[in-house]
Amino acid sequence: MLAEMGRLAPLRAYAVALVAVGLVTIVIGVIEARVQVANISMLYLMAVLASATRLGRGPAIAASLASFLAFNWFFVEPIHTLSVGDPQEWFALVVFLITAFVTSQLAADQRDRAREAADRARDATLMFEVARVLGEPDLATALAAVTDRLRHGLGVPGVIVELDGEGAPQRTIAGNVAPLEGAEIGSLAAWIPSARSAAGARARWIHVIDPRGASASQRDERVHAVPLLTGGRRIGTLAIVRASSGPRSADDRILTSVATQLASAIERARLRQRATEAEILRRADELKNALLGAVSHDLRTPLASIVASAGSLRQTDVRWTEAERESFLSDIEHEARRLSRIVSNLLDLSRMESGTLHPERSWYDLAALIDDVVGRLRPLTQGHRVDVRVPEDLPPISLDYVEIDQVLSNLLENAARHTRPGTAIVVSASIDGAQAVVEVADDGPGVPRSDLERVFEPFFRGPSGDAPRGTGLGLAVARGLVEAHGGRISVINRPEGGAVFRFTLPIEQPSRTRTAATT
Amino acid sequence: MSPATGARVLLVDDEPAIVRAVRANLGSRGFRVDVAVTGREALDRAESHPDLILLDLGLPDLDGLDLIRALRSRGRAPIIVLSARGAERDKVRALDLGADDYLTKPFGVEELLARIRVALRHTLRSGTDEPVFRARGLVVDIEHRCVIVDGTELHLTPTEYGLLTALVRHADHVVTDAMLLREVWGPEYGDGDHYLHVYVARLRKKLEQDPQNPRYIATEPGVGYRLLSEDAHPDPARVERALGT
Repeated sequence: MLAEMGRLAPLRAYAVALVAVGLVTIVIGVIEARVQVANISMLYLMAVLASATRLGRGPAIAASLASFLAFNWFFVEPIHTLSVGDPQEWFALVVFLITAFVTSQLAADQRDRAREAADRARDATLMFEVARVLGEPDLATALAAVTDRLRHGLGVPGVIVELDGEGAPQRTIAGNVAPLEGAEIGSLAAWIPSARSAAGARARWIHVIDPRGASASQRDERVHAVPLLTGGRRIGTLAIVRASSGPRSADDRILTSVATQLASAIERARLRQRATEAEILRRADELKNALLGAVSHDLRTPLASIVASAGSLRQTDVRWTEAERESFLSDIEHEARRLSRIVSNLLDLSRMESGTLHPERSWYDLAALIDDVVGRLRPLTQGHRVDVRVPEDLPPISLDYVEIDQVLSNLLENAARHTRPGTAIVVSASIDGAQAVVEVADDGPGVPRSDLERVFEPFFRGPSGDAPRGTGLGLAVARGLVEAHGGRISVINRPEGGAVFRFTLPIEQPSRTRTAATT
Repeated sequence: MSPATGARVLLVDDEPAIVRAVRANLGSRGFRVDVAVTGREALDRAESHPDLILLDLGLPDLDGLDLIRALRSRGRAPIIVLSARGAERDKVRALDLGADDYLTKPFGVEELLARIRVALRHTLRSGTDEPVFRARGLVVDIEHRCVIVDGTELHLTPTEYGLLTALVRHADHVVTDAMLLREVWGPEYGDGDHYLHVYVARLRKKLEQDPQNPRYIATEPGVGYRLLSEDAHPDPARVERALGT
């Protein structure tokens, strides 16, 4: 109520004060017609007090003066003139006027203090809220929350935060910022003192001209903007659009504080991002070095045998038997496919390292995926007994089929490569709490204890013995793909011998927005 | 000779080695091969109505997907898309735009010939909607809503039956997730969160004796499914591809 009345347009406040005086005059008139009451003029003090507490200082003074004049005009002999017959009456009137003045000022002070206390309480709550939501690690989410809190806390129609940067400024908007929409905000920034002139003045208040306004004289006093500064440099703008125009120092104060907090939060977020980018660069660099090391050997070996085989076939002075020709040709095809495999593994790996891997998930029956992969890789695992153990009641899992297919293929290939023909490979799936677990267990020599973590590093190769060489990338790719799904991959040695590679996939609940195709 | 003898194939690819190999292989098997190395050239050549188009998605001048749209507006010749592994999204979009099939580079000659055979056979057969589909022990009687595998009648739910008939309608062709969703659940289920793959898995459980070696429904990872009407050729390329080729 208090706040509402305080927002009355000034003219209306004065009118209300005068109406109150008029009402009191009527009441006095009615009473005077029946009985004589001494000092009945004191009734006017009620109108003055009400004006002071509800409407403010100015209307209270107006009420005092109006009461003085009305009492004089209507009730002091001679009636209907402003002259006063009795000097005693004069004295009473003057005392009344002084009393009304003093009372009104005391009441208005009280009112101001109450308002200020309310504002400060609101500011404190708001600042606390803002500080809390700014703790959000994601800057966009934090900004959305801050603009929303500000809009509700200040009770204004719209709040906007605009971040400068390369290219178009980024805006976060809460509510209706119609006066700022459409045309170039001027870009808000253009209306704000430049960094230099703003330095010193922590936050300068400006009024933004309505960009749609035809003439520059149409200022929109409803928009208040404050620059976001860090180290004297402007990084953006915070602005509110108010329902009515006119200054409101409490709002300005809180906006200035919020702007300071916002600026430092934004700066922190940018520093964080730069650190992340540096980390990505560092890892990319490491990968590049490992790649260069690998290229010299892993890519050259197949190339060498391709070139040698092709060259042999072109010899004109040798007559190759049909079997020899066939062997050269199959070498060429085999090694070319190997190269292709290395290259696509490298591509996968670089996509993972650059953080651009986004699984395209859908709901799948894990058992069907395992059957598909085991079936397709049968030519590769022909020498082994491959057992699949999957329970009947596995729930559907949300996954990217191509990627998890790749993970399982790489693990199976790895098992087949490092174990002797005739041994068993067991592929199993199970549920463990909120995750699905897939295991590929073999009967081979296991992984040396010192290599348990390193097997998932790119280009790592264990002691291969007489096993055919792999690309050194399969397990690294598998790890990247599993982690992109929010799962974990690890390897353990079974006490009875053999290695168990296991990876997990989180089981999620189907979203509520499913189509009927899920029912 | 093969039924495709004399068929005209338009090969759109800007890689000379591929063009040479494909031209030699198809030419020696009686195909007439026309070559375009740019998208614009392809549109020109398509005016002469080839029987089949082999289209590389990564052309220098035109976006591959735009080209498919343009080619489709010019004629009904089957289009087989050639693209690199990892470009599953492009393949799916190409198929949804009207391409008939795809081949992942690098591909073997056997695989290429098999795809061309299927694509051409389909053009010959299209238009005759046979009421009964028969393939290697599988009988789908559309008229009587009855499915028999090796003489035993199967009990399928309406959804499973809908999936099977949708696959049968496109026998030997890859059917994308979006196409299946549309045909079985209706046009409004083009994408979004769905259990399509779980239903296909259930259907396969009823249909297939050896789930690791499916006779009828093959998975095309990341793209969709394919109903096989004849025995799949043992194909070493598929194994290599599974390993990331």
